[in-house]
Amino acid sequence: MPKNNKQQKTYSKAVAKIVKHPLNDRWTMWYLKQDQKKSWEEMLDVVHSFEMVEDFWSIYNHIRQPSELNQGNDYSLFKYNVRPMWEDAANKNGGRWVLCVDKLYRRTKLDELWLDTLLCIMGESFEFHEDINGAVVNVRHGGDRIAIWTADSTNKRSVLAIGSKLREYLRLGPEFKLYYELHSASKDTEPLYII
Amino acid sequence: MSASPIARQACSHAQAIPSKRVLVTDASQLPELYSSTPGGTLYSTTPGGTRIIYERAFLMNLKNSPLSRTPPSNIPSGLLRGSPNVPINTKRSPSRQAAKQKIDDPQEQFEIDL
Repeated sequence: MPKNNKQQKTYSKAVAKIVKHPLNDRWTMWYLKQDQKKSWEEMLDVVHSFEMVEDFWSIYNHIRQPSELNQGNDYSLFKYNVRPMWEDAANKNGGRWVLCVDKLYRRTKLDELWLDTLLCIMGESFEFHEDINGAVVNVRHGGDRIAIWTADSTNKRSVLAIGSKLREYLRLGPEFKLYYELHSASKDTEPLYII
Repeated sequence: MSASPIARQACSHAQAIPSKRVLVTDASQLPELYSSTPGGTLYSTTPGGTRIIYERAFLMNLKNSPLSRTPPSNIPSGLLRGSPNVPINTKRSPSRQAAKQKIDDPQEQFEIDL
């Protein structure tokens, strides 16, 4: 062990270079690649699982940004034991906060909003962090979407707290609305909450 | 590590665990053991332990550290930056029904290690 202050500082700096920072949870990044010859589940692929901040960055720094994906493709980030589909037991009773991002913003804002969404859920800054299952970005011709999936749609306090935290973290202006939808709701159902 | 979906359900009615805030501004302030968190031990196993929270600025600060710049292995082809972007027919998004068609054994999908 280092003896004096100077040594301690050098030691700390050296340690900081090789030590990775653990995240509260282990996460898996998924990629959905549109392919008409495959079923939806076959189109889904794991990018990587990680539980350290540096391992997240190592993946993020080397893969395409959402704006660089072909239309029809998705990225998802979910807790390790949750699959990015509403049929998963953890998602069954849940819903999602959806942020619609107009195609006009694809080049300028989509990637930044997606990164902030990832940092927000991995950094665990939510009061009800145990209700967060993951996040998805859909790159679509009709407009891109970012969603945070929560575990329990019946817990109004948790759902609304997560929604307003997300608004705050993403620094969303009034031009952006967040819609909370149940996974079990049919397509034309009104959102449960709008903030 | 978070609880399994079953464990999650079992404790969904439990009370929220009170959180305390321990501000970490530099990597050197972190405990040496991965199994402990600043100001306490693992939140999930020890009452009074801390949950790991990182502020955005702290995470962003690590973005360009040497370890963060190390290329990952086994990334699906075509996802790496600079690799050829294969054009794909985009007709319409798959419906929820399509997703329902077949669910494989979930275990199979999670046999992935770093």
